[in-house]
Amino acid sequence: MTNVPQAAPLLAIDDLRVAYHRVAVALHGVTLRVMPQTIVALVGNNGAGKTTALRAISGFIGVDDARVIGGSIRFAGRRIENEPPHANTARGIVLVPERDKVFPNLTVAENLTVAATRRASSAERRRLDELVFALFPALAPLRARLAGLLSGGERQMLAFGSAIVCKPELLLVDELSLGLAPVVVDDLARRVRAIRRELGITVLLVEQNVGVALAIADYGYVIESGHVVLEGPAGELRGRPEIQQFYLGLATGNQVRRYRALRERPANGPGDRRQ
Amino acid sequence: MSPQLIANIVVLAAIYALVSAGYVLVYRVSHVLNLAHGELMMIGAYILVATAGLFSGNPILALLLAAVSGLVMGLVVYAVLMRWLTGEAVLAAVLVTIALGILLRGLSILIWTTQQFYPAAIFGWRNPPVHILPGVQISVASLAIVALTIIVYAALFLFLQFTAWGVRMRAAGQNPLLAEQRGIRLHAVYALAWGLSTFTASLAGMLLSLDSGVESTMATIGLKAFPAALVGGLDSLFGALVGALIVAAAEIAAIQFVNPLLSDVVPFLVLLLVLAVRPWGLFGSREQLDRV
Ligand SMILES: Nc1ncnc2c1ncn2[C@@H]1O[C@H](COP(=O)(O)OP(=O)(O)OP(=O)(O)O)[C@@H](O)[C@H]1O
Ligand SMILES: [Mg+2]
Repeated sequence: MTNVPQAAPLLAIDDLRVAYHRVAVALHGVTLRVMPQTIVALVGNNGAGKTTALRAISGFIGVDDARVIGGSIRFAGRRIENEPPHANTARGIVLVPERDKVFPNLTVAENLTVAATRRASSAERRRLDELVFALFPALAPLRARLAGLLSGGERQMLAFGSAIVCKPELLLVDELSLGLAPVVVDDLARRVRAIRRELGITVLLVEQNVGVALAIADYGYVIESGHVVLEGPAGELRGRPEIQQFYLGLATGNQVRRYRALRERPANGPGDRRQ
Repeated sequence: MSPQLIANIVVLAAIYALVSAGYVLVYRVSHVLNLAHGELMMIGAYILVATAGLFSGNPILALLLAAVSGLVMGLVVYAVLMRWLTGEAVLAAVLVTIALGILLRGLSILIWTTQQFYPAAIFGWRNPPVHILPGVQISVASLAIVALTIIVYAALFLFLQFTAWGVRMRAAGQNPLLAEQRGIRLHAVYALAWGLSTFTASLAGMLLSLDSGVESTMATIGLKAFPAALVGGLDSLFGALVGALIVAAAEIAAIQFVNPLLSDVVPFLVLLLVLAVRPWGLFGSREQLDRV
């Protein structure tokens, strides 16, 4: 990283390759850095490999039939590729998944109890529960409700809450905005920034909605078909014409379908791909 | 129906319920149907024969040792066998339990032959009938089975409902991936389910052997308890309790009013009947069905 030189990264991913069923390669060498206490966005279209990247960091289980087949993932300096999710959660890497993010047949309170938090006394567990209800006051009156009956927004809040009870150092969020109304998204975005500010938690955020992601994040990566094609500080990315054209929906004619196609044309400015 | 008949139904239902609890625990947590459950129950009874032989003067110690062995047995089965099948197709795991059952049956005949053993006799215990009501009598051991079934079900209910590990077991059954992502070690939860499952099965086997001895055919009771679990829906303890009552009532009625030879057939007739009407069982959740 040349543009964020200060501290050591909390998460360092180098040339990460991931395959499903041993043959279907979904990530073809992704390199990214997440500095402590920052919010980093990973954006891209459907099927770009965003979920795969987060799942590789959080860990696969047998039923996924997925594996890291190359490259490395370092968390606080230690290599963690192909570690099971519970071990990574114990290290402080906690995921808010894209789908199936709560246990539908457990109550809201049980969804918080369920987390097997590392080194937490029962007093600390209570403190963590209270913290969740302080961050998401809307959940407090729903304690006894089955999570399967919650609205999409409430479910997302509960997913954040149950992740926070795991005491994350790095919070991985897969699709903050998916299926939620704009006001709810704004509200959640504010809370993500509060989580970072008040709890000092680092956030790696995956989004299809590039506008939302770049508004929350400090730094952004764009991936397409398993490759990082563009990266930079969020403010800078927001101003780039390619981003405005292909991801923020400000395109006017000249329809090139993907950023890579555009990049490969000589008329374009200096390449932003790393290396 | 005479009060004696009702008492017989309650005792048989308690036996089936105590045995089905183990089917439900393992299925609910890992969606694996443990078809070696009856054999594991029988081994539990044989272990009591062994500990009774070692400590005939100290029945409490012998019973405790056998009960603890029942718990350890499930942990061992998970650690050396089932653990390697997590993440594989559920069918593969079920086939392995069938193989395990056949193996255990063979081993038990090799070790204990087909002879009948009476651990109660080793302790010098008699098993007198008691009059619980005028004209209604059941054996002391049967009374103990009913009491134990109530205790086990109450304890399991409280455990699953109110303790963190109980909630984690329920969570792992719903979504194993999310459970892992919430810091729960799946292997620990599955091992616990297996341990509790063989523990309760062993308790059933031990009490049955105290009541009427143990021989190589005891595993059949495990097979007959299976319809009780399935009638209830396999993922519901309450369902198993009701299923056990239905199967026991049908069986006792058939023995009493039709033909005692029907005893081994009736549980499966009830099963077919219920599955024809409600394929997901009486209390099971419909969405669980495709996972069997
Ligand atoms: N379980 C799986 N088995 C096989 N291929 C998979 C599996 N999961 C994802 N893939 C493939 O991997 C690629 C990346 O998928 P991924 O879910 O990571 O994309 P994504 O960027 O999260 O997309 P979306 O925005 O739609 O969530 C896709 O081509 C997808 O088809
Ligand atoms: Mg995705």
